[in-house]
Amino acid sequence: MDRRTVLKGLAGAGGLALTGLSAPAIAQGAAARTLRFVPQANLANFDPIWGTQYVVRNAAALVWDTLYGVDAKLQPQRQMVESEETSDDGKIWTFKLRSGLKFHDGEPVLSKDVVASLSRWAARDPMGLMILAIQQELSAVDDRTFKWVLKQPFPKMLYALAKNNSPCAFIMPERIAKTDPFKQISDYVGSGPMKFVKSEWVPGAKSVFEKFADYVPRQEKASWLAGGKQILIDRVEWLVMPDPATAAAALQNGEVDWWENPIADLVPVLKNNKNISVDIGDPLGNVGSFRMNHLFAPFNDVRARRAVLMALSQEDYMRAIVGDDDALWKPLPGFFTPDTPLYSEMGGEILKGKRDLDAAKKLLAESGYSGQPVTCLVAQDQPITKAQGDVTADLLKKLGMNVDFVATDWGTVGSRRAQKTPPGQGGWNMFHTWHAGADCINPAPYTAIRANGDKAWFGWPNSPNTEKEVTAWFDAKNLDEEKAAVGRLNKAALDDVVYAPTGFFLTYTAWRKNVSGITKGPLPFFWGVSKTA
Amino acid sequence: MLSYILRRIVATLPVMAIVALFVFSLLYIAPGDPAVVIAGDQASPEDVERIRQSLGLDRPFLIQFGSWVWRILHGDLGTSIFTNLPVSTMIGQRLGPTLSLMMVTLLLTIVVAVPLGVVAAWKAGSLIDRAIMGFAVFGFSLPVFVVGYMLAYIFALELEWLPVQGYTPLSQGVWPWLENLILPAIALGCVYIALVARITRAAMLEVLQQDYIRTARAKGLGQGGILFVHALKNAAVPIVTVIGIGIALLIGGAVVTESVFAIPGLGRLTIDAILRRDYPVIQGIVLLFSFVYVLVNLMIDVTYTLVDPRIRY
Repeated sequence: MDRRTVLKGLAGAGGLALTGLSAPAIAQGAAARTLRFVPQANLANFDPIWGTQYVVRNAAALVWDTLYGVDAKLQPQRQMVESEETSDDGKIWTFKLRSGLKFHDGEPVLSKDVVASLSRWAARDPMGLMILAIQQELSAVDDRTFKWVLKQPFPKMLYALAKNNSPCAFIMPERIAKTDPFKQISDYVGSGPMKFVKSEWVPGAKSVFEKFADYVPRQEKASWLAGGKQILIDRVEWLVMPDPATAAAALQNGEVDWWENPIADLVPVLKNNKNISVDIGDPLGNVGSFRMNHLFAPFNDVRARRAVLMALSQEDYMRAIVGDDDALWKPLPGFFTPDTPLYSEMGGEILKGKRDLDAAKKLLAESGYSGQPVTCLVAQDQPITKAQGDVTADLLKKLGMNVDFVATDWGTVGSRRAQKTPPGQGGWNMFHTWHAGADCINPAPYTAIRANGDKAWFGWPNSPNTEKEVTAWFDAKNLDEEKAAVGRLNKAALDDVVYAPTGFFLTYTAWRKNVSGITKGPLPFFWGVSKTA
Repeated sequence: MLSYILRRIVATLPVMAIVALFVFSLLYIAPGDPAVVIAGDQASPEDVERIRQSLGLDRPFLIQFGSWVWRILHGDLGTSIFTNLPVSTMIGQRLGPTLSLMMVTLLLTIVVAVPLGVVAAWKAGSLIDRAIMGFAVFGFSLPVFVVGYMLAYIFALELEWLPVQGYTPLSQGVWPWLENLILPAIALGCVYIALVARITRAAMLEVLQQDYIRTARAKGLGQGGILFVHALKNAAVPIVTVIGIGIALLIGGAVVTESVFAIPGLGRLTIDAILRRDYPVIQGIVLLFSFVYVLVNLMIDVTYTLVDPRIRY
C-alpha cells in the first residue's frame, strides 16, 4: 500500500462521514414552557430507596407521590391518602387511598402497590425499621384500603410516612416495589405529578421530567410535600453543571432559569443582575459538624472531647464556610435546627461566650493526652468539609495537639470513617461533615445524634443518657413532652459530646425573574412554579 | 500495508490486556467504596455490606477480574454501579460531545497553528516571528480554565455572541452544534496551537535552509508555493507526529474544558466515575482511551505515507 491507496481510502471514508453529517436534522418537539434547572448535584441513580442521596430524593419527589407529606409547619398532611383510622389501642392503622390515583403507565394505584412500596421503604429507612421491628402485619384490605397492624403503638406513624428525609415513603407500582431494597430499580413508572423521561437521561449531565396529565392533585394549597401539586410547566430539564462559575454565567445569560444552590462567593454577582432573584433556599439550612472517634485515645475520654468543644469558635467555622455574609449563619449551641419547634439550647453553655483556650488545654492535659498524632480526615473535594478541616487543624494546633492532617477526597473519607481499627492502622480520630437541617428537626431522622455505641453513626458514641431521651421523644404524647425530651437530649449529647456542632448555615437559591412561584423549602418544589417568555 | 495495519491492530491486544490488568488492580487496592456512597449517610454498616454483596464487590480479586475479563471478551463492558445503565450506553452518550470537541479543536489547531509556524519560520527573527512565538508562550502558560472563563465572560456574557455552556448534537443542525463548541475549542486549543506552531516553525526553519528551496527560489517560484508546497510538505513528518501525540493532550484537557463549559463528554464522565468509585465505568473508559491512543499512533504511521512517498510499509 502506498500514498495513493491511502488517499483513495480516506476520500471514501470522508464521503461516508459527510453523508452522515449532512443527514437531515431530526425534528425536535417544541420546547414550550420548559424550565431549565441546575440541581445541587448529579442525578447518578434514580432509585430513592436504594440510593439515599438528597439529589435522588429531590428528583423522586417529582416522579413518585407519598401517602402523606410534611407541610411548611413540619406537620404531616394527607397526600395520596383520603382518610386514616387508628384503633383505640393505637396498634392498628387503617388507611384509605384517594380515588382516581394513577401510575404513569395508566394503571390505577392500588393497595397492593402501597403494601409493596412500604415494605421496600421500611427495610431501608430508620423509622421504617422501627416500625418493622414491631410489625405484625401489613396487608391490603381491598383495592383502596390497607392496614398496618403493630405489636405496640407507634405514635409517629404519620410523620414516618410524610417525612421529607431520605428515604421518603414513595409509592411505586407493585412490580417495581418488589425489587430487593438493596438492588437498584430500572423501571421508573411513578405516581407523582411528573414523568421521568428515561430516554433523555444522561447521568452526570441531564435529566428530563414531563408533566403527567393524569395526575390528580389535591384541592388544598400546596405547602412543601403536602397539598395540591399543580404543575404549571410542561417540562423540567435538570442540567448538571460541575463548575459553579459556569452555572452563574449560564443563569446570567438566560441559558438556565433556576440554580438550586449558588455558592456564597458568586452570590454578589447574581444579586447585581437585574434579571435575577436571589433568596435563601432552604430555611432549615444545615448543621456543620465534626465527629470524634469515641473508640480510641484521645477522644475516648470525654474530657478531651469537651476540651475541643470549649476551645472551638463556631464563628470561625461559619465564616470559613459562608464568608462575610452574616445572613447566612448563626451560632448553634446545640444539635437541633434553629427556628423549629424542638430547638433547644439546654446544656449549650460550653459553646457560648468567649473561648477559654487555657481551660481547654488544662482539661485536655487532665484527659491524659500526651502528644500522640490525631488523625484528622478532611475531604478536599467538598468545599464545606475542606473549610471546616482547615479551621479544625488550626484549633487542634492551638490546643497543642499533634495533627495528622489527611487531605483526601470524600469517597475515601466515606470508606475510611467506617473503619474501627486504631488511627495508625487505617482508622481515624476525626472527620468533618454536615447535616441537612431537615434531618435535625427531631430525633427520628437524626442518625448523627444517636449514641448507642456500636450501632451508632461513625465515631460510635456511647451515651446512655442521650439514648434514654431519644426513647422519651418517641414515647412523647404531645409537643410539650417532645420539647422536654429534646431539651434533655440536647444537654446529654453536649455533656458527652456525641459530636461537635460547628454552627448553623444557610445557602441561597437563585432564579431568573421570569420564573415565579419558587418557595423556600428543604428541597426544590416545582409545583406552583411558572415561567413567562 | 494492509498486513502491516492488521499486525499493528493484533499487537494492541497484549497492550490492552496489560492496561486492563493494571487498571483493575489499581482500582481494587485504591481506597474508597461505592457501596458507602450509594448507601448514603444514614446507612448502617449492615446496609453497606448488603449493597456491597449485591454488587459483587465482596468477591475475591481473581473472581472479580475473571468475570470482568469474560464479559469484555463477550463485548460487554458491564453495567454502571450507580446508574444501572450499560457502560457502553454511557460511553455512547458521551462519545459524541467529546469527539466533536476534539475534532473542532484539532481542525482549529491545524488551520491556525501550521500557518503561524510557517510564517514565523519565513520571517524568522523579525517582529512577526517574535509576536507569534510570544503568543505561543502565552498559549503554553495559560491554564485551560483561565482561558475558558475569559472567553465565556467576553463572548458569552458581555457580547452575547455565543452560549456559555452545553452541547447540541449535530443532528440538530450544524450551527447549533458549532456555536456550543467554538469557545471550548479555542480554550482547549490554546496550548495545542502553541505547541504545533513552535514545532512547525522549527521544522520549517530546517527545511528552508535546504538546497532544493534555494533552487525553487532560483526557478522563480512564488513565496507561497515555496513555503506551503515544497517546504511544508518536507517538514510535515515531525508536525504530524506532534499533532498525533497532542491528541493525548486533548483528552486530558477535555476533562477540564468539559467541566468549565458543562459539555457532557467523556472527560466529565471519567471524573464523576472516579469520585464515585464507579469501577465498571472507569475500567471501560480507560480501555477506550488506551485503544484510542494505540489507534492514533497507527494513524500517525499511516499518515507518514501521505506526506512522504518514500515511506512504505
